[in-house]
Amino acid sequence: MVEIDPTELEIAELGPKIRDVDDADELREMLELEEGGEDRAPVRTLIEDRLEKVEADDEEVDADSLDLSEMTVADIANAVRDIEDVDVLERLLEQEKDGQDRKTAKDRIESQIEAVTGGDDDEEVDLEYVPPEEKHPDLDHPTADKQWVESMEDGVYRDMWVYCETQHGELIDVSREMLGKAREMMDGYNASPDETSGAGDETTTGYGGAEDGTEEDVVAVIVGEDVSELADEAIAYGADRVVYLEDHRLGRFRHKPYTEIFVDMARAGGQLASEGHEDVDWKEYDEPRYTLFPATNNGRDLSALVQGELDSGLASDCSGLYITDAMISNPAKTGVPGDSKEFDRILHMKRPDFSGFEYSTILCIDKPFRDFHPQGASVIPGSFEVPEADEEREGEVVEYQMELDEDWFSVDVTEYDALDSGIDLTGHDVVVAMGRGIQDDPTEGIELGLDLVDAFDDAAFGLSRGVITSSYSFDGHVEQYIGEDRQIGESGQVVEPDVYIAAGISGAIQHKVGMDESDTIIAINTDPDADIRDFSDYYVQGDLFEVLPKLTRAVEEGDLAAAAAEASDD
Amino acid sequence: MRSVVLTKGVPDFREGQVSFDEDGHLERGKTPTVMNPNDKYALRAALQTKVRHSGTVSLMSMGPPGYMEVLQEGMRDVYADDLYLLSDREMGAADTWATAMTAATGINNLDEAPDLVFAGFKTADGETGHTGPQTEWCLDMPLITHVISLDVDPEEELVRAKRLVEAETDEIETVEAPMPAFIVTDPEFEASYHRAEHRLKHKDLRETTQDRADEFGEYLADDADEEPTDWDRFSMWNHVDLNLDPDYIGLDGSPTIVAGVDPIPKAPSEREATPVDPDDEAEMEQLVDELTPYAAGD
Repeated sequence: MVEIDPTELEIAELGPKIRDVDDADELREMLELEEGGEDRAPVRTLIEDRLEKVEADDEEVDADSLDLSEMTVADIANAVRDIEDVDVLERLLEQEKDGQDRKTAKDRIESQIEAVTGGDDDEEVDLEYVPPEEKHPDLDHPTADKQWVESMEDGVYRDMWVYCETQHGELIDVSREMLGKAREMMDGYNASPDETSGAGDETTTGYGGAEDGTEEDVVAVIVGEDVSELADEAIAYGADRVVYLEDHRLGRFRHKPYTEIFVDMARAGGQLASEGHEDVDWKEYDEPRYTLFPATNNGRDLSALVQGELDSGLASDCSGLYITDAMISNPAKTGVPGDSKEFDRILHMKRPDFSGFEYSTILCIDKPFRDFHPQGASVIPGSFEVPEADEEREGEVVEYQMELDEDWFSVDVTEYDALDSGIDLTGHDVVVAMGRGIQDDPTEGIELGLDLVDAFDDAAFGLSRGVITSSYSFDGHVEQYIGEDRQIGESGQVVEPDVYIAAGISGAIQHKVGMDESDTIIAINTDPDADIRDFSDYYVQGDLFEVLPKLTRAVEEGDLAAAAAEASDD
Repeated sequence: MRSVVLTKGVPDFREGQVSFDEDGHLERGKTPTVMNPNDKYALRAALQTKVRHSGTVSLMSMGPPGYMEVLQEGMRDVYADDLYLLSDREMGAADTWATAMTAATGINNLDEAPDLVFAGFKTADGETGHTGPQTEWCLDMPLITHVISLDVDPEEELVRAKRLVEAETDEIETVEAPMPAFIVTDPEFEASYHRAEHRLKHKDLRETTQDRADEFGEYLADDADEEPTDWDRFSMWNHVDLNLDPDYIGLDGSPTIVAGVDPIPKAPSEREATPVDPDDEAEMEQLVDELTPYAAGD
């Protein structure tokens, strides 16, 4: 007699209970009972699925028969991943210690022991889905009506999609940079687990491809007018497949249609596919696993809209990306307070944060009963190298077709003009840059910097990021000099003048990136130990409000003595 | 013309205001909160609309009750008519998508649907630039981002805007959209009041709003701990007021989490700096010798 009689239960009650049944014979008996009773198709499927799983578990290799001395570390890592019996793992650890005693192998076994024992009690806690109407009876129309959310659960995700932005019919450089980075990450991802790629801590783990062992691709998405000719170039820079859509109305970026198009492509062939795209011959999965966008004005907007519509998240303005496992204890993600859970194949997105004070690593992680895929990122232009184009590379080109709703074009671009290249801080003899040292009197600080600029024949005026992000109030006449177009550093311009004068700049590493190729660096700072001291040639320890006027007079007069003499005559 | 401006409180990043702990992490609790600098441009755009075309401006934020002061600051700046704070523990630690859902619900909950919604670009702390566009996506309005100048045509129910497209080549686009519309201002936004009557009106509005902001200040000072209810220009809404499922907002509704924060590593020492005492003439002379070859000719 079976413990659970399916004919006495509703399917909703049976679901959680059946997961406790580990005996294949018992499951077969339950199946017979159901077939002899109401014979409900979903109940049969439920029991059959469980039966299949139980039988598969029985077929697992006997871990004790493994001979570790015959195995590579990668093989060991693979083998122990499926072993959940601590005693077996302990025996394997002893075996390795007595045998080759490889540290890397022992690490793999030990971390598996930790993972198994760490989640000991609640490892198989089955969270139960509670509909929001029951969970929040006090709310009369909970967000569960999915007003804005088309969420998915247990979707199938594959591939890294790269939105390739174009301007004037060409791929822009950041598109090429992202294709190169995506190629590098997916090559690492598709490699076997003993190979890692990337540098330092930012290492992509080899997963040997998707869960089914097939390789995952880099997919380039190109949207615009006459963009088909860019497909080969995207392949040369690393794409395995290019999906493009052309329309004469898409010559300029438009938020609504571009978003609708990208999202329609991303859902094609999957369970949320729109009509006419339920089946496409180039895609069977539900949504992309990862998406990359350029952190340009339009690219960043598109990334936010696409990821929102796909009910997922993203990190903006990233400068580092890699794929590896993540151990997460956040209960919003694990569903169980106090528990840790390992999530694999997680895109780690590193970005300068808090106005340049810190790097944050952002992860986009599924939660119980709601998937957060694709994991999206926008990428700061220039963060990665433009790869060498490989004209021999082969790939698939897909022309995507869909109806574009006329309503999507309600924002009309009536006119456009290229700006003068803006403020170019490069190519000057001298650059004078100001930092937060101006805070006591921001307007005067800027004036003093500009005075010094004027004293030179060919100098440019720059700013550190700190000045731009701080909420200083400037008088009108200097306000025009405050803006991102004058920013020097990682997310601004990179300059290498003969002389770089940094006044009141403490020297964050992002600033250094923008100026450390300068021939001579002169720093002016009241702090005797500001970071910038380590990459300066002259370090004037003093107040910029006093030092700058002195330097200005000296440069105007040609030498300091004369300047000093004149100053004393005043 | 009814406008809503979204704003956020952020840590004050001016030098000397920011506190770090021993590990070099930002201590938000010890760093004062100010209005996000980029939001000022959204406020200016809303103010320009009010001065030119009359109507009302509502200011809305999501955050802890302390953000009331940010709203007060905003009220002075934008001559706002009323203030809304979406505030609730369930809304805490939200990423941009969960914030967008909350903000969009807040806007939907207003008695009168706005003709224009304004948001600033990146916040000084999160720096994503996502919340504006994602809020628009929930509301499904025509979206214009990176707006540097704005003209509203109430007769035609149109907005015309110039927007900045920064990519490989920087461009300015002129776009036109029907109202209601969602405007995200760029930090390059400039308001303009080229008619004398606008400048006069600006002055009038400033006076009445200053009084109003002071009133709010008195009200705040009166009873800061209690939930404000009796100043009819301020509303605080929690998730129940908004009918929001807690699973879709705050930390629980956020796809992303911050997994780690590393202080930016110190740049390695590569140059041997010659110390210069600004009061030492010989030392300064040496420095000036480096500069004089580049001096402007007469």
